[in-house]
Amino acid sequence: MMLRVEGLRKRYSDIEVLRGVDLELREGETKVIMGPSGAGKSTLLKCINLLVRPDSGKIFIDGEEITSKNSDVYKVRQKIGFVFQEFNLFNHLTVMGNVTIGLTKVKGMSKSDALLKAKEVLRAVRIGEELWDRYPAQLSGGQKQRVAIARALAMDPILMLYDEPTSALDPQLSMEVLSVMRELSKKGMTSLVVTHELNFAIEAANSMAVMYEGRIVEEGSPEEVIKNPKTAEARAIFNGRSNYVLV
Amino acid sequence: MPSLLEYIPFLIEGSLWTLSLVALGLSLGLSLGLPIALMKFYGVKLDAYIWFMRGTPLVVLLSLLYWGVFPSFGVELGPFETSVIALGLRSSAYQSQIFLSALNSVDSGQIIAARSIGMRESQVVTYVLLPQALRISLPSWSNEYAIMLKDSSICFALGVMEILTRARYISVATDSALLPYLLAGVLFFSLTHAGTGALEIVYRRVKIKGTLGG
Amino acid sequence: MFWYDLASSLLIGIINTLELLLISAPLGTGLGIAVGILSSRKGFLSILARAFSSIFRGFPLLVTLFIVFFGLADFGIYLSPTASAIISFILCSSAYISEYVRGAILSIDEGQSLAAKAIGMNETQEFLHIIIPQAIRRALPSISNEIVYMVQYSSLAFAIGVQEIYSVAKSFNSLYFRPLEIFSTLAFIYLSMTALVTLLFRKLTERLRIPD
Repeated sequence: MMLRVEGLRKRYSDIEVLRGVDLELREGETKVIMGPSGAGKSTLLKCINLLVRPDSGKIFIDGEEITSKNSDVYKVRQKIGFVFQEFNLFNHLTVMGNVTIGLTKVKGMSKSDALLKAKEVLRAVRIGEELWDRYPAQLSGGQKQRVAIARALAMDPILMLYDEPTSALDPQLSMEVLSVMRELSKKGMTSLVVTHELNFAIEAANSMAVMYEGRIVEEGSPEEVIKNPKTAEARAIFNGRSNYVLV
Repeated sequence: MPSLLEYIPFLIEGSLWTLSLVALGLSLGLSLGLPIALMKFYGVKLDAYIWFMRGTPLVVLLSLLYWGVFPSFGVELGPFETSVIALGLRSSAYQSQIFLSALNSVDSGQIIAARSIGMRESQVVTYVLLPQALRISLPSWSNEYAIMLKDSSICFALGVMEILTRARYISVATDSALLPYLLAGVLFFSLTHAGTGALEIVYRRVKIKGTLGG
Repeated sequence: MFWYDLASSLLIGIINTLELLLISAPLGTGLGIAVGILSSRKGFLSILARAFSSIFRGFPLLVTLFIVFFGLADFGIYLSPTASAIISFILCSSAYISEYVRGAILSIDEGQSLAAKAIGMNETQEFLHIIIPQAIRRALPSISNEIVYMVQYSSLAFAIGVQEIYSVAKSFNSLYFRPLEIFSTLAFIYLSMTALVTLLFRKLTERLRIPD
């Protein structure tokens, strides 16, 4: 089991955002999480790489409990790749700079090794050489997000977390990003994806979880959950949608 | 130090002079700066004046006016009046920039709208531009108050009986330096915070709801 | 003869003024950045940093000059006029610069910090490689403004006897008594120095600009 979440709870002032979340992810599995906004999906992801500290509950990455007091937060984060909705590329660095900085400053790689690795991941996300010296402000949204994915991949993560990666992109640019994500999933990258993209769920995901008000209410294969939702909450999301979700 | 304590009222009295310098200086700065800003807004080039007033140190301007310009023209103005004029002229340059940037930040759509309902330009200025620009300027203007308050200490060079001049007197009279100047510093500090605090309250009352700067 | 004498006197003044500025400006900026970073964090040091900034922004520069030069003498610390001036300029400018740096740091989008953490950076790495480079660029216009002010306010060093330009001009005036020419020339010199500094910072801003 690559990822196991047990009884995760998180409260922000008077709102309980996570009310006991249980989740499992096998190695190589791609799971999609869907749900209305405010359901706690983003918070859940941010807890997994400890950007947010849960109030209670346990998280296990590759068998190791990362919520224990002894765990090294920084080492944990190196093993997990996180892709943000707003990309969050480092504005003052070029594309190459964005991808190599984690390698040189966090992993302590030499510049030449970092460069080699960076080129490898940039090719994997199909960012061509002509863009490597550009700055984030000079890129399209789809290019920015693919560079963000490359930045995360460069660290050789064992788990990738995607927090609504295409929500800020128009349909055209979303396609380029989703196809890169699909390829990564096919190559066996364990991935947890929060998204609204039903097509991606059906084509690339092995399983789907529906979140509602801080809990996971339904789980299953994407086709099952979308076409035959069992819970009222899931039905509310997918009802009437199953017609035009065709590959 | 009994002798120092005796002088404290004397020191605090200096605040009256300091605040007068500031009030008059700011008023002069406002009455020149606002028209200059409006003129620049409508395309008149006044860069030379602004450049000169911003780039010349206050003490140089004081000397130039007091020993140079005024005597040459037979004008007899005392240290206090000259200080007010120097402070006011410099402030007018800085204030004109504050107001110009505030005028520029008023959405141009409003100006067009005002014109299209038949307002004359003077009415556009009076009823649409200025009410908003003045409110937007308050925070920066509050900063200008703080700067003017500190700059007023430079007028000691002409012997105006403001706080710093008095601190010097006290220092010589009591043969101690640290305490008088420290007290003067505390006095300036307090007046600065009292003033900017008051302006902050005014700003909160008058600011335009729903906009970031106002 | 007058103009020649004036020029040679002023030259000495200019050299002394430059000495003041060339030492105070870099050190003041450096200290300002350090204090600014501290004041943007949390904890005891941050409170100290903000108190420092508040005090030396609240005191007029002249008061600081007098406290350093005359006040410390009460305790047996006798600093030269030039040293006192340099220290005072550093204290004053760093207080203002720390505010600009603090504001710039706080204005950096939280997402930058999250992304830095997400690739495993600790706080120091995050600050050093991601936050500071962006914050300095943002604070640059304000910092350059502050240095321009420093050029002008260097004239106040006359009050503690530093032989900088204004001081020299005043002495010269008491000999020749032609205030109009002398102080106009003085104004012109300051204006030129201001223009020079502004130009230098414009070039610096261009070099550091992130293309967009």
